[in-house]
Amino acid sequence: MHEKHTSRASLTLLLGTPITDRQGRVQGRLKDVAVATGLAAGNVAGLLLKTREGIRLVAVKDVMQTPAGTIELREDAVLQPLRGDENLILLQQDVLDRQIIDVHGRKVVRVNDVDLQWFPQNGREELRVAEVAVGLRGAIRRILKGVMPRHTLETFAMNFRSSIIPWEFVDLIEVDPARRVKLKIEHERLAHMHPSDLADILEDLSPPEREAIFVSLDEEVAADALEEVDPRLQKSLLESLDSGRVADIVEEMDPGAAADLLGELSDERSEAILEQMEPEERQEVEELLEFREDSAAGRMTTSYVQVPTAATVADAVRALREFDGDPEGMTEIYLTGKEDVLDGVVPLARLILALPETRVAVLSEPRIISCHAEAHQDEVAELFDKYNLHALPVVNAANRLVGVVQADHVIAFLRAKQ
Amino acid sequence: MLKRWRIRILLFLAVLGPGFITANIDNDSGGILTYSNAGAQFGYTLLWTMIPITIALLVVQEMCARMGAVTGKGLSDLIREEFGLRMTFLLMLLLVIVNFGNVMAEFVGIAGSMQLFHVSKYVSVPVSAFAIWFLVVKGDYKRVEKVFLAASVFYIAYIVTGVLSQPSWHDAIVATVELPRGSIWHSKSYIYMIVAVIGTTISPWMQFYLQSSIVEKGVTAKSYPASRLDVIIGSFFTNIVAWFIVVACAATLFAHGMGPIREAADAAEAMKPLAGRYAFLLFSVGLFNASLFAASILPLSTAYTVCEGLGLQSGLDGGFKDAPVFYWLYTLLVAGGAFAVLFVPNGKLISMVILSQVLNGVLLPLVIIFMLLLINRKDLMGEQVNSTWFNVVAWLTAVVVIVLSLVMMVTGGV
Repeated sequence: MHEKHTSRASLTLLLGTPITDRQGRVQGRLKDVAVATGLAAGNVAGLLLKTREGIRLVAVKDVMQTPAGTIELREDAVLQPLRGDENLILLQQDVLDRQIIDVHGRKVVRVNDVDLQWFPQNGREELRVAEVAVGLRGAIRRILKGVMPRHTLETFAMNFRSSIIPWEFVDLIEVDPARRVKLKIEHERLAHMHPSDLADILEDLSPPEREAIFVSLDEEVAADALEEVDPRLQKSLLESLDSGRVADIVEEMDPGAAADLLGELSDERSEAILEQMEPEERQEVEELLEFREDSAAGRMTTSYVQVPTAATVADAVRALREFDGDPEGMTEIYLTGKEDVLDGVVPLARLILALPETRVAVLSEPRIISCHAEAHQDEVAELFDKYNLHALPVVNAANRLVGVVQADHVIAFLRAKQ
Repeated sequence: MLKRWRIRILLFLAVLGPGFITANIDNDSGGILTYSNAGAQFGYTLLWTMIPITIALLVVQEMCARMGAVTGKGLSDLIREEFGLRMTFLLMLLLVIVNFGNVMAEFVGIAGSMQLFHVSKYVSVPVSAFAIWFLVVKGDYKRVEKVFLAASVFYIAYIVTGVLSQPSWHDAIVATVELPRGSIWHSKSYIYMIVAVIGTTISPWMQFYLQSSIVEKGVTAKSYPASRLDVIIGSFFTNIVAWFIVVACAATLFAHGMGPIREAADAAEAMKPLAGRYAFLLFSVGLFNASLFAASILPLSTAYTVCEGLGLQSGLDGGFKDAPVFYWLYTLLVAGGAFAVLFVPNGKLISMVILSQVLNGVLLPLVIIFMLLLINRKDLMGEQVNSTWFNVVAWLTAVVVIVLSLVMMVTGGV
């Protein structure tokens, strides 16, 4: 009858429970709970018992819980010694009191307790990790365990707010790379997060943990996150990576951000990274590196769309489709004449409303507001404020278009100055 | 020439940071009282403690700084991860009580030093408490830290006071390198004073504060050598200041047979006719600065440590809404400390401070032992585990502290 419905148990209260055989003799005490990874993630694979002979592993199918809340071994139960290559997450050792990433809530939290769930399966009971507790309720259980009887504590703890994270939203952080591979900890869900949230998470972690997460991200996600983290942190994140890998990440970054980043590194380091980069991206970044950081050129990106003044709207749309930079932040395209001389600016909205065969020159703003590459960033901010701009083209002495400053860059340096 | 000097001084200051600040806060109101009493009651005979204490302080502080740099985690974080929530909770509870006692002592120092200038404590304490609270909660921490660093300069006031008190330099230096002989070792109060001096120089909150500051500053294993220098300079400077306080009081109060004092401010008062107005002025300004300095850092460090260890949101970036426990704990410590000094009768106040000192004696060995267990773990520290002689000095410190604390607890406190 007991096996018919699911029931819950907290890891804290389970640990240390005596484990008896059918005759009621105590065989050992529960030391840890081993959880499977990969396909069977979240299923408890076995229980670790502390017996007189040492630590033994017993499969969950070989045990049952008694009405009294203790655990009983089944008739045919096998107790094995640990081999050390089981690829199991141990809840007490690896999860309890550790920091984890709450993928859903997008933050780093510390685990107070783990809630387990018994449920019937093929006439036997299975045990599964339901959620991790990070709130006051779990903490109370931990602190008061053994101080009062179990049932009293269970009822008492219910008076406190629980704060839980379902197991499927939990990302463990493992600093040992070999173990990370073994346990199949991959962090692929972090890729769906907003880069800014991911950057916040990285900032909350200690350097080794941060590194563990960062190396597991693919280049594009790593590049996006890197653009958002604090400059001081950027440096420390890259410290442990080899130049080739850094080059791959930097290539994915916005050229302006990439130049800022390389500018922060030592000359040798940034030289080594540049050498590993694709020639095209490398040239872009190198040009930007020439400028003072607080000038318009230092703040601009070279990733923008330009079309000849003679082009039609259809041509412009094609150019946009073929553009391989980040299209989200873009608000306008630029018209250029001979030798890239800036001729006009067309907001994207106007492009959408126009017929495909219209000449882009007709759509251009009557007054082109641009600034010189050497201009100080304060001047750039003033222009944005005065003309309510979203983006500002940057030109060189010969009035050639060399880059674009976006509004978000302006906000970033204005805030940094505060 | 001037420019070169400026660059040198700037380079020197650039190294100074968490280690220097932490060591300096150590000479707080309670510390000044203890050192003053050591000088007032026993003359130069306690000066020999300064060298071993400097070494012990240096070793303990260096371990914290190194752990922070290598693991990137605060001490309470590490204790939580390696020793569990219950242990951490107990430690944090002790820490809050002990530090509350310390905060009260700081406000006593503020009240006392301002009274020397005829400012009523009903004015000085609330104004200081509010200023401290406002600076940290509403201000920008980076700027606050710079203010603190600048405030450290004021500790030089004690060195000047020491010189003004015209001590016998020869006797003082000999007493620093030579153990006193004879019947003084049979004096119970002499032993107590040794315990008090050690207890006030190496206190638990410093280890938590230093390690968090190192992490906060983003020091890594690679950039650690600069921080080590910072810790070394800090440990020496703070004990040099302590040495001068002892000397100043020995040359004046002890030489004239004035006996023990009850508040640090009393030392300044007593010094006035003996060492002149300037010594008095410097001593009291130094006391005010030290108390104010410590009264702002202590509650802040407590709130940080507790939230870190218990996994609660902390930090000054958010606000009351983001990190309620952090802000409330900080606010209550400041307000509670000020309130106690203003409205709790003196006798009760003193017994509260004594209780917190006894708990301090329980907490300190625990913290040092936890630190030693952590720093010798290869999986945490890699190649940066303690060297053998470092372990010897650190364990020796732990054992001495434990024995002395037990003696103090058994025989009933300072």
